[in-house]
Amino acid sequence: MNNKAINYKIPIDQREIKRPLFIMLSIFALLSFSVYYLEISFIEMMMGLPNFVMFFFQKFFPPNAENLQHYIPAVIDTLGYAVISTYISTIIAFILGILISENTNKFKTLQVVTRGFVSILRNIPFIIWGALLVYIFGIGGIVGVFALILVTVGFLSKSYAESIDEISGDKLEALRANGSSYLQILFHGVIPEFIPAWINWTLFAFEINVRASVVLGLVGAGGIGVLIDTNINLFKYGEAITIIAVVVIIILLTELVTNSIRKRFV
Amino acid sequence: MNPLLSIKNLVKVYGKDTRALNGISLDFYPGEFIVVIGPSGAGKSTFIRCINRLVDPSEGEIVFDGQHLEKLTGRKLRKNRAGIGMIFQHYNLVGRTNVIKNVLHGQLSNLPLYKSLLGLYRHEDKQEAVELLKKVGLQDQIYKRANELSGGQMQRVGICRAILQRPKLLLADEPIASLDPLSANIVMQQLHTISREKQLTCIVNLHQVDYAKKYATRIIGIKQGAVVFDGVPSQLTEAMIREIYEGKESQMALKNESPHLPGALTDNERSHAMPMAAGQNDE
Repeated sequence: MNNKAINYKIPIDQREIKRPLFIMLSIFALLSFSVYYLEISFIEMMMGLPNFVMFFFQKFFPPNAENLQHYIPAVIDTLGYAVISTYISTIIAFILGILISENTNKFKTLQVVTRGFVSILRNIPFIIWGALLVYIFGIGGIVGVFALILVTVGFLSKSYAESIDEISGDKLEALRANGSSYLQILFHGVIPEFIPAWINWTLFAFEINVRASVVLGLVGAGGIGVLIDTNINLFKYGEAITIIAVVVIIILLTELVTNSIRKRFV
Repeated sequence: MNPLLSIKNLVKVYGKDTRALNGISLDFYPGEFIVVIGPSGAGKSTFIRCINRLVDPSEGEIVFDGQHLEKLTGRKLRKNRAGIGMIFQHYNLVGRTNVIKNVLHGQLSNLPLYKSLLGLYRHEDKQEAVELLKKVGLQDQIYKRANELSGGQMQRVGICRAILQRPKLLLADEPIASLDPLSANIVMQQLHTISREKQLTCIVNLHQVDYAKKYATRIIGIKQGAVVFDGVPSQLTEAMIREIYEGKESQMALKNESPHLPGALTDNERSHAMPMAAGQNDE
């Protein structure tokens, strides 16, 4: 036995221990500051919890399902907004995506300008678009559709562009080499390769839009969200909880449907 | 005889001072089967891509069929490109499109957009596409998606696509570099046979010297962006090969790993080995 070998420590990490420690401390400091600054009392929160639960069960239960059939038009409205906005967005976003991707747009300036425009659309939350548009168009369906389109275009254009970028330039090179025109390369090379990603992103956008279109109702943009808002304001909690349950079912069903479409086509 | 393709003092500089091509001047005559050899990084790929302007040369002239290609843009460039078929190392098929449509892509330049979108290819084009696919033994894969094929099969589709352009010149950039020895053999044979049949002029980049010697009517050795050898296969001596690959000897794929490739064939044997590997499956 060689004593030296036993005494000699072999570190299993090359990095120093100080760095992760420092990172952990900074995160904790950030948390402490936020709690201190906002004067949030965890004790108060804990104490409030039983009250909240009591309120919830006393007021919201039993659910009142008497008017269930009256919600149907609102449900259809909500889904309709999601369908229309996704449909229109996918067309606009496809064109913008082509303008953003390096694979399909060689003009750098146009690329940057489009990317900037899309980024603005995307980074303003849909609820703010909704609140803004309500002032312009007044309460109603068009606000919901419009707000959803703006945000979905922002989201889809970027996603589409990334997927188009991922199509390897090699494949398009062959079409370039045999004298095909730009549009032919686009339609015969880019689009066939883009279809799986296109289906995926669009279904994803539809799921988001169903949720968003419920929420938009709360700011007066129509659909089932309006009913939740009104019923809570009228203290009809039993009805509100039924509507919330309906919303959850719609969202789950949407996911079920989109997932099965995905499995079949992608 | 007038050269089909005449290249004068071709220079390509990447970035500031990476000289990929260092003034190449060559004439190519109709019916030649030219193999360009050289170590990787010698500029073979840049050279072949300059011919159809997939890469824009920095200096020099490219005269193809009496037409200066180096200045062309837009529609005129596309029209001339249509006369030059190209085969790629990575096949470059559109994977989610079926085999026959990939072959018909060779005729896109002769079709207005709406017709190509509606699939209104000319009957004779479709007929030739099917015949070509039969010839390379892919008659059973016509409606398969291209990405469902094996590498060797994809490359044969690539050959059909290039031939369907009815080109005067066929370029092939490392057509067999990504294939296993057996598929490589089939692909190289079919490429050779078809181009002889159609009396095409071929320029093929290869790094397998044995294939070069077997098929070429003329071999060009490129080293550091300059031509260091230009002659018939019999002139390519061991010493010459060693000079071309000097410093990169490991890339001298003198002997292909394939047991199926005989070193030198007599004329009799060659005609025997020549019939297409139609129906032969490389899977």
